[in-house]
Amino acid sequence: MTVFQTENIQSKLMNSYYELTYIISPVLEDEQYPAVIQRINDLITSKGGTVEEVEEWGLRKFAYEMDKKQTGFYVNLYFEGPATAIESIERAMRIDDEIMRYLTLKYDAKMMRHKELVKKNAVPEVFPVIEEDDSEEDK
Amino acid sequence: MIKNPSHPKKSVRKVKQCKFTEAGLEYIDYKDVETLQRFTNDQGKILPRRVTGTSAKHQRQLTTAIKRARFLGLMPYVAENLR
Repeated sequence: MTVFQTENIQSKLMNSYYELTYIISPVLEDEQYPAVIQRINDLITSKGGTVEEVEEWGLRKFAYEMDKKQTGFYVNLYFEGPATAIESIERAMRIDDEIMRYLTLKYDAKMMRHKELVKKNAVPEVFPVIEEDDSEEDK
Repeated sequence: MIKNPSHPKKSVRKVKQCKFTEAGLEYIDYKDVETLQRFTNDQGKILPRRVTGTSAKHQRQLTTAIKRARFLGLMPYVAENLR
């Protein structure tokens, strides 16, 4: 029984690495986006997480119409936090009218290794020979 | 005719190689839309393994990646011209 208890405590204390991408509704004014991003970051911090990096992809066109909208403001961020925080963060985002969609991914060892490669800009190219557009690179 | 291996009617099977295994990619990222698009047809459907030659392991990863990209509106569920 004690073993179970310690495992439980460990899993609560253990922080995992997460990636979160969300789409902010385009009905907002341009100057309102930073406030929303700040709010989400504060939310994560208040739940015991630490935001590592935030990347704004900006306003992008959707591949299909979503909630009668053609574009959305994409934000991609990485954070570290306890597993218990995810539920409340997602709940808050679901309620939030300004957030259209979100996707949280937990990073495993494989994905972490991939991220390291992305950082070093050394992701192996799946289609190395691209004749049509950028042939001046690599060679 | 059937027994002759060099008969023109007996097509030589092209050995397909998994692009991801060749490249040594471990994780297929949903953000890399350009690569993912190569594994869908013009309708936006995911191409089967028998067409692309992707390994089973990578095909599983690929489908999840494409579905994630679709959810976030980075890739279409159905091509624009067909809707």
